[in-house]
Amino acid sequence: MKKPTIVGNTISIPSSQDFLVDVDSFLEGKLRGFGVDDSMVADIAISVTEIVNNAIVHGNKSDPGKAVTIEVSKDNGAVLITISDEGNGFDPGSVQSPIDENNLMREVGRGIFIVRSLMDDVVFEIRRGKGTSVTITKKL
Amino acid sequence: MKLNHYEKDGIAILEPKGKIMGGPDATLLHDQLHEFIEKGKKKVVVDMAQVEWMNSTGLGILISGLTTLRNNQGELKLANVTGKIQSLLTITKLITVFEAFDSVEEAVKSF
Repeated sequence: MKKPTIVGNTISIPSSQDFLVDVDSFLEGKLRGFGVDDSMVADIAISVTEIVNNAIVHGNKSDPGKAVTIEVSKDNGAVLITISDEGNGFDPGSVQSPIDENNLMREVGRGIFIVRSLMDDVVFEIRRGKGTSVTITKKL
Repeated sequence: MKLNHYEKDGIAILEPKGKIMGGPDATLLHDQLHEFIEKGKKKVVVDMAQVEWMNSTGLGILISGLTTLRNNQGELKLANVTGKIQSLLTITKLITVFEAFDSVEEAVKSF
């Protein structure tokens, strides 16, 4: 896979952060189509880019031959977004609390904490050897 | 993201514009901060007025810059922190780490 592909409400990108702008642009278009306001679009975009960064780096180990797929939908007054990678599985429980005083000056490790703070629900489906899917929900 | 920089009263001012989400954008900000440090410019203000939003990658770059500057007897301060960034700094408790000012002028005067 060398470039992003879009089919309906789904975008797939190669595992490179160069394509984050494509994800953001796709997502913003879909969310505006759902009537989501500017502030919520930003919160969702921050959250999705966090999970996509994790999928690229920790899931797919930046292997451009592996894809990250983002699917957007609206259901019962909420936006649901599922981000899937093709890696070996990522354990969110292994991340230390970034607001612990000992961790405040760390450069990394805040992504999932921020997503949990901004979104109404975050569900990890970890399939060892078959990738991780993360579904985030934001009520409108 | 676009990135401008200039000097005011001997202080290096960085002006990122747009969204800081990782990838090439983030590298640009990281490299510019570290170029300042290499050139001996150890007092830096990051003007956040035109940053739409950032994720943890952007926060990590600011922490990296702050740590490196402090290790070299310098300092990084923030100016014009907008609502979205302010709430991220609050959520992550980084509001207790960074000095933030309402304007670039106030940040420059504080050195």
